[in-house]
Amino acid sequence: MIKLRYICLAAAATLIVTLSSCSSTPTAENPSAPVASPPATEAVSNNSHSGHSSKEKININTAILSELDKFEGKLGVPALSNKIQANRPYGSPEDLVTKKVITQEQFDQIKDQVGVQEVVLTGEAKDVDYMSKLGLMKGHLLVARELLDQNQPKQAEPHIGHPVEEIYVDVEDQLNERKVKEFKTTLVSLQDLVKSSPKDSKVKTSFTSSVQAVDGAIAALPEAQRSKPGFTLQVINELLDSANSEYRAAIADGKITAPIEYQDSRGFVFYANELYKGISSQVAQADPEAHKAIDTSFAELIKVWPAAIPPAKAVKTPNDVTKLVKTIEENSQKVVDKSNTQAQR
Amino acid sequence: MPNNFALGNGKPWSRRQLLQLGLAGAGVTGAAGLWQMLNLQSKSTVKVPPLNIEAPDDATNPMKMLRDFDYGTVKQENGRTIREFQLTAGTSIIKLNSAVSYNIWDLNGRIPGPTLRAKQGDRIRVLFLNNAGHSHSLHFHGVHPAEMDGVRPISNGSATIYEFDAEPYGVHLYHCHIEPVTRHIAKGLYGMFIIDPPTPRPPADEIVLVMGGYDVNDDSHNDYYAFNGLPHYYMHHPIGIYKDQLIRLYVLNIIEYDPAVTFHLHANFFDVYRYGMTMTPSEKADVITMGVAERHILEFAFRYPGKYMFHPHQDAIAENGCMGQFEVLAEKNSQNPVKHS
Ligand SMILES: [Cu+2]
Repeated sequence: MIKLRYICLAAAATLIVTLSSCSSTPTAENPSAPVASPPATEAVSNNSHSGHSSKEKININTAILSELDKFEGKLGVPALSNKIQANRPYGSPEDLVTKKVITQEQFDQIKDQVGVQEVVLTGEAKDVDYMSKLGLMKGHLLVARELLDQNQPKQAEPHIGHPVEEIYVDVEDQLNERKVKEFKTTLVSLQDLVKSSPKDSKVKTSFTSSVQAVDGAIAALPEAQRSKPGFTLQVINELLDSANSEYRAAIADGKITAPIEYQDSRGFVFYANELYKGISSQVAQADPEAHKAIDTSFAELIKVWPAAIPPAKAVKTPNDVTKLVKTIEENSQKVVDKSNTQAQR
Repeated sequence: MPNNFALGNGKPWSRRQLLQLGLAGAGVTGAAGLWQMLNLQSKSTVKVPPLNIEAPDDATNPMKMLRDFDYGTVKQENGRTIREFQLTAGTSIIKLNSAVSYNIWDLNGRIPGPTLRAKQGDRIRVLFLNNAGHSHSLHFHGVHPAEMDGVRPISNGSATIYEFDAEPYGVHLYHCHIEPVTRHIAKGLYGMFIIDPPTPRPPADEIVLVMGGYDVNDDSHNDYYAFNGLPHYYMHHPIGIYKDQLIRLYVLNIIEYDPAVTFHLHANFFDVYRYGMTMTPSEKADVITMGVAERHILEFAFRYPGKYMFHPHQDAIAENGCMGQFEVLAEKNSQNPVKHS
């Protein structure tokens, strides 16, 4: 699967954590003595490493395929990137050997570049992550609006709740740094309103301010970046990946038994499609074949969610949806790779 | 993620240091390994009827879950035992009865998630990968720093590492802590977490029973209930135990939406070890009240062969699936497999 997997980043923003470059005095414990109560704060008490300079490592738990390709190239093992992804998660770099992904000899050649720690995302990867999180919020709100418009506040409520319950904390720390005003309060008051007095005329204005807040956070990324296909495609695939899992969680025996997950996936796919429209002509120019594949797949994909209120029978099986998502991912990767090589020139 | 500060900064041993100590890659060694072996050995002095495990290929397999403990991968790092567990959240479909299929979130492809087991003082390391669409997390009961409390959402496709010490000993649990927590738990993201005392408990036939509820139409009201994932399963497939054998039940109530249920055992009384946090029982009972997330060790032996039901005494809950029975077998040395009808 081509995806960006990040081990939570936000709170680590001030620390670059890498394992083997930091050494400190080991805390001796006698293993034969009963360890009654080891210091509970040990986990966080050794915070003295911030001065260490740490070499850039590739996080094998989170890296995208194109990053893992560096190992594939160096070791000359075909399809190694996919193999590394398929064997996640890793507790330590050595797990590459214990999980038989590569041999000890191969590991020795790359061990200096392998990490399992969360690293502070920088540059484009950080922006992709930020934009993807906001994109998920957009998807939730998109489907919430549809349901509010159809006078279904009860059904809309979870989709108004999800941005703040599941996602906000992941962008929170970045808002300051990107000079975006906090908007948790806005989201929470909308949620309160929809829960307690869904008929209130204030719902509309409150909803509008929530959407504007998310849009404002997205606008913190430069327009030039957001219109770059190589960037936006990565965001699109993050959204589709979540949509794919949610859709799978919605269908049982060909029926949509979990409307919430159906609606989540609808929101993510529709917003991803909207994003693609913004860059499609550029993609068509850069790689007509990839564009055709992506465009056709999106057209097929959209049909899976005919309305915000789920149909009695699922239009496509989860496996069919996965196939379409994969097709988009694979073709996107070609475009992303191309734009990366161009950027390096 | 603050969680990982622990790994980066609280894990002060480099690969090289480990190699010097000759411990790198060590498997089951040292005190913890011995304890685990004792656990397994003491099991062998205990009479457990052979099981005919039907293996449905979905996320439910209550017969297998009864006595299935995940001890993790034991690593020695600088004289310290690290018990490493891997938990991956995914999505799957289970059949609650012949007519009703239900989408759950599973952990390692099962509901409830694996019963994790460690010894007090072990360092626990949990690698958590979320492949289940929504953001999820793992919150462990026990004593640990705030950074390890597992309330922070881990987004779809992401992994994180929780690391903390196993303390105090007792029967604990872990579960997802993303809002609405009721829904995230009721859809399957929970499991039992046993921390054994420094001095092992006496040998017994150890059995895990987790009571759960299913709200199939998202109306914050349970429609079905189950022991170990499947409604009525142990009614149709009684749990075989031997007469006069000490049974140690690890019971957890993780039924959301109903404030409390009881656990009642027919034709017997059990010793109660509240939260499994003592070595001496506090009381004897045949019904014990358990609020959500309460869990206890209950010990008993049956004097007479036969079938004996167990269930919450909220009979509506029992009738909707939270019901099972023990089949007490007379022949302690019998090699005949238990017949399941
Ligand atoms: Cu969850």
